[in-house]
Amino acid sequence: MISKLTIRRLVLISTITTIVSLGLMVVAIVFPKPLLLVLAMSLGQLFGTLSLALYLLAIVLDLQGVGEHDEIAPHLGLDKPAAREGDEKGA
Amino acid sequence: MVVTPAVPQIHTIEQLLKATALVASFISILILVWYLARRPPLGRMTKVMLLFGLGVMPIGVSLTGNIAGFEYTLKREFCGSCHVMLPYTQDAEDPKSTSLAAIHSRNGSFGEESCYTCHADYQLFGAMTTKVNGLKHLFYYVTEYANTGPYGEGGKPIHMYRPFQNTMCTRCHSTTAPSWTKVDDHQGMLEDIRRGETKCLDCHTGDKIHPRAFAHGGSGRPPATTASAEK
Repeated sequence: MISKLTIRRLVLISTITTIVSLGLMVVAIVFPKPLLLVLAMSLGQLFGTLSLALYLLAIVLDLQGVGEHDEIAPHLGLDKPAAREGDEKGA
Repeated sequence: MVVTPAVPQIHTIEQLLKATALVASFISILILVWYLARRPPLGRMTKVMLLFGLGVMPIGVSLTGNIAGFEYTLKREFCGSCHVMLPYTQDAEDPKSTSLAAIHSRNGSFGEESCYTCHADYQLFGAMTTKVNGLKHLFYYVTEYANTGPYGEGGKPIHMYRPFQNTMCTRCHSTTAPSWTKVDDHQGMLEDIRRGETKCLDCHTGDKIHPRAFAHGGSGRPPATTASAEK
C-alpha cells in the first residue's frame, strides 16, 4: 500500500541516485579519460533518468492525495490532512 | 614575465560548456544536500526546489557535459590518453617529423583533431558509427592492451577495422586537380584510384604515415635526438 512514507522514500532514493549520477558526470568532466567518459554517458545518464522518473512519480502520487489519511509519526514533519467534518481520527 | 590569471580563463566553447556543467552540478548538489540535511516537509517550495535539484540542473549538466565530452573525444590529446596510441600521437605532434600524419596535423584544417579528421566515418550517421567504434576501441584496449608496455610494447599489432578508403584522401586531394594529375604515378592509375580499386595506401604506405607504429616496423618511441645520438 502506497503511503506518504513511500513517497518520502521515493524522493530520498531519487536524491541519492541523482548525487551518484552527478558525481559520475563531474568526474568525467574534470578527468576526461575514455573509461570515465563512457561511465558518465551510460551509467550517469541511466541513474539521472531513473532519479527524475522516481521524483516525478512521487510528485504525481502526492498530487493525487495518496496517503492523505495515513497516521504517520508527526516527527517526520509530513503535512497533515485537513480535518473533515465527521471524521474520527486517532490521537 | 608571464602572469598566470587567478581565475581560469574560458577561451573555447568546450571550456564554457564544462564550466556551465560544473556550476549546474554544484547548484544541484547544494539543493540535494540541503534536502538530505534538513528533510523539510514536501510543501510547494520544497517540491519546486527539488524539481530544480533533481530535474532542471541535472538535465543541464547532462546536456552541456555530454556535448563538451563529445567535443573532447575529437581531439588528438584524447586519442593519446590510451598509452598504445602514443607512437601515433607523439609523432603527429612532433614539429620535426616528416610523416604524413605530422604534416597533416600541422595543417590548420586538421590541427588538434587530426586523428578524427582522417579516421572518422562519414556519410549520414558517420559521427554515430565513429563513436560506436570508439567503444570497440575501449573494449579491446581494456581486454588486450591494458597490460602492455608504456608505448604498447608486447601487445598485438594495432590495425584498422576496415581498409582505409580513398575518399578520406580525395576529400582534399582531388583527383581532378592539376597538381595531382601531373604526378606520373597517379596518371597510370587514375581510373583505378577514382573507383577505389587501387588504394592510396598501396603507395603511401603505413610506415610513411605512422612510422613509429609497431605495426609498420617502428619502435614506438621517439627517435633519439642528435645530441644523444652523437654521444
